[in-house]
Amino acid sequence: MASVASKLYADDVSLVMVLLDTNPLFWSSSSLPFSNFLSHVLSFLNSILLLNQFNQVVVIASGYNSCDYIYDSSLATNQGSDSGKMPALCSNLLQKLEEFVIRDEQLRKEVSGDGLPSSMLSGSLSMALCYIQKVFRSGPLHPQPRILCLQGSPDGPEQYVAIMNAIFSAQRSMVPIDSCYIGSNNSAFLQQASYITGGVYLKPQQLEGLFQYLSTVFATDLQSRSFLQLPKSVGVDFRASCFCHKKTIDMGYVCSVCLSIFCKHHKKCSTCGSVFGQAQSDASTASNRKRKTSET
Amino acid sequence: MPQVKIIAKNFMDMVASLPAMKLDKLYANAFICEAILRSLPPLAKKYVLQMLYIEGPVSAKSIEEWVLAEGLSKHKVAIDRLIQLRLFTETADRKRETTYRLNPVLQGNLQKLLTSGEVLPREPMPSNVTGRLPSLEDLEAFALEKWECFLLQLINSSQAEKPTNISSSMMKIFQRGLLSQREKEAPRLTESGFQFLLMDTNAQLWYIIREYISNSEERGVDPADLISFFLELSFHVTGEAYNIDTLNDVQMDTIKDLSDLGLVKLQKGRKESWFIPTKLATNLSMSLTDSSSRKQGFVVVETNFRMYAYSTSRLHCEILRLFSRIEYQLPNLIVGAITKESLYTAFENGITADQIISFIQQNAHPRVAERIPSVPENVTDQIRLWESDLNRIETTPAHHYDEFPSREVFEGACDFAREWNGLLWEDSKKMRPVVKAEIHMHMRDYLRRQK
Repeated sequence: MASVASKLYADDVSLVMVLLDTNPLFWSSSSLPFSNFLSHVLSFLNSILLLNQFNQVVVIASGYNSCDYIYDSSLATNQGSDSGKMPALCSNLLQKLEEFVIRDEQLRKEVSGDGLPSSMLSGSLSMALCYIQKVFRSGPLHPQPRILCLQGSPDGPEQYVAIMNAIFSAQRSMVPIDSCYIGSNNSAFLQQASYITGGVYLKPQQLEGLFQYLSTVFATDLQSRSFLQLPKSVGVDFRASCFCHKKTIDMGYVCSVCLSIFCKHHKKCSTCGSVFGQAQSDASTASNRKRKTSET
Repeated sequence: MPQVKIIAKNFMDMVASLPAMKLDKLYANAFICEAILRSLPPLAKKYVLQMLYIEGPVSAKSIEEWVLAEGLSKHKVAIDRLIQLRLFTETADRKRETTYRLNPVLQGNLQKLLTSGEVLPREPMPSNVTGRLPSLEDLEAFALEKWECFLLQLINSSQAEKPTNISSSMMKIFQRGLLSQREKEAPRLTESGFQFLLMDTNAQLWYIIREYISNSEERGVDPADLISFFLELSFHVTGEAYNIDTLNDVQMDTIKDLSDLGLVKLQKGRKESWFIPTKLATNLSMSLTDSSSRKQGFVVVETNFRMYAYSTSRLHCEILRLFSRIEYQLPNLIVGAITKESLYTAFENGITADQIISFIQQNAHPRVAERIPSVPENVTDQIRLWESDLNRIETTPAHHYDEFPSREVFEGACDFAREWNGLLWEDSKKMRPVVKAEIHMHMRDYLRRQK
């Protein structure tokens, strides 16, 4: 099947799912203004569409309370020209983005949380994967999908389980997750995501030249990646979050039945309900603790 | 078979073979930049994008560092293509370091495309002027009908029911190479003509357009103008109406010919007239790359060599007749059989087994296209076997040596020929070896030395 499909469809046709971080709490503190960031990203989207007539771009905004599709180049083709007229692309995307940000803002008032500055990466990853599954099922001919996370907000440890599930599901369907992290420290989630799915993780040094980073590294189609020098991961932070308090830990307790991770000793596993024995003594507790550094 | 080269992929070669002046002029048009960028191999596209905002020259060495060792051959292909199309200009400085620079005109155009977008030279006409335009389905049917009609006329001028308006001199140009025209004899399809019929629509279209363009100079039209017009046309939106007054005289003449090929539909309103591009036109730039069009197939081949083609088209019937025996023709179905005799006629006409097989595979009915293989293996094997039946004898140019002075010299000569892998036959009693022609010179030198 694969050989037939590739004969009918050029190798470098790609579907790029772009996950856009729109967390206002992050952007207000970022050194790169959001408008500059957007203009880099818009040029990047245009360049992807420029490379091949069949290339498709879908943009998902991940806000701090919700996430939503804000642009899909396959829907735009019906009214605009086949390459997606740039002014149309910009205006469509910006309009949807504005609506989204306002909606996102309103949701916050209802929730009235303490405003943890992380964005809904888990939600947008799941949406991207759903979209890709839909494309896979549309027929034997489909573009090669990949996900690109443009993230700036720090990791939200409370999303650990959901994100890991999304990562493993992407790995199963052989969808690489590329990530471009604009924030100050490295993102452990995105490092793991790219490492596990075979994508590229990059933290640009000079944010003014973001477009050059994007076009050099992330515009590469999957076929060409096997021939090109791409940034390799230097070190990946494999730390996990505990299931009980959503804290990032490097040592903790692991349920022997379902592999849930806890920072403190519990009587019962909150995930699968297995009853744990009593911790005998301090010495044996220490040996039961499992280092969570290189596994996962 | 050198004639296979008529495949239309080489359109870009034609562009590349334009003189440098004209090529540079072409890049002034943003659409051509876009179309040409899309026609490049993936790696080359990547390089253009990467160099897009680099003003100065980049040394060949640093570009080579972008690729891994495995990709070096692809890298060379990409760079060659870029230089051939003058997208990259190569310069060698005093230290003999080669540097590349992106063509500045193209660079500017692509930068503009990325930031401000493309603007068609003409706007679609508002619907209150044009009234109701034909639907996309109607338009596709129109294009298909026109194109088939043209093809039928092309292969057999008398068979077309509605002759197209293409002048007979033009038709002659298209037929050149596809039909053999001997005097006082009905024209027959040549080898390349048969191959042409088995190509997919886009490839056929490009072949015709190539002929059209290469003939343009005789009519006093600049080929570069035509190429840019064709590529520009491919970026128009299917099904929208465009005012014909926006065209210049050359384009006006061209568009009339194009409407006969089914690329555009011409319509007249009360005051103005307009053209509506069809799928054939908008797919032009897409088919520049080797990804062929995705057309719905219609042929089912069974393991018993029977073939069912769900088609109403007479053209399809004619094409199938090239290599199979048509048995029944129902309103929407053509039933035929692939027989040894029918295939032999096809082989005699210069069609190869692989072409037939790839035609059946590419046009497989959706129901069988999902299966692997889409054509039963015993049928494809048998078609290949029947072809190889005809090629049982192989001829190799050779030299025959005679009258050796002694057995030692003869045996030495045989061993020498064996070393070169060129000994075809030997008769040791009469001391006569037969040796491949390509090593005759070595053989002669060897024998001279023995004397």
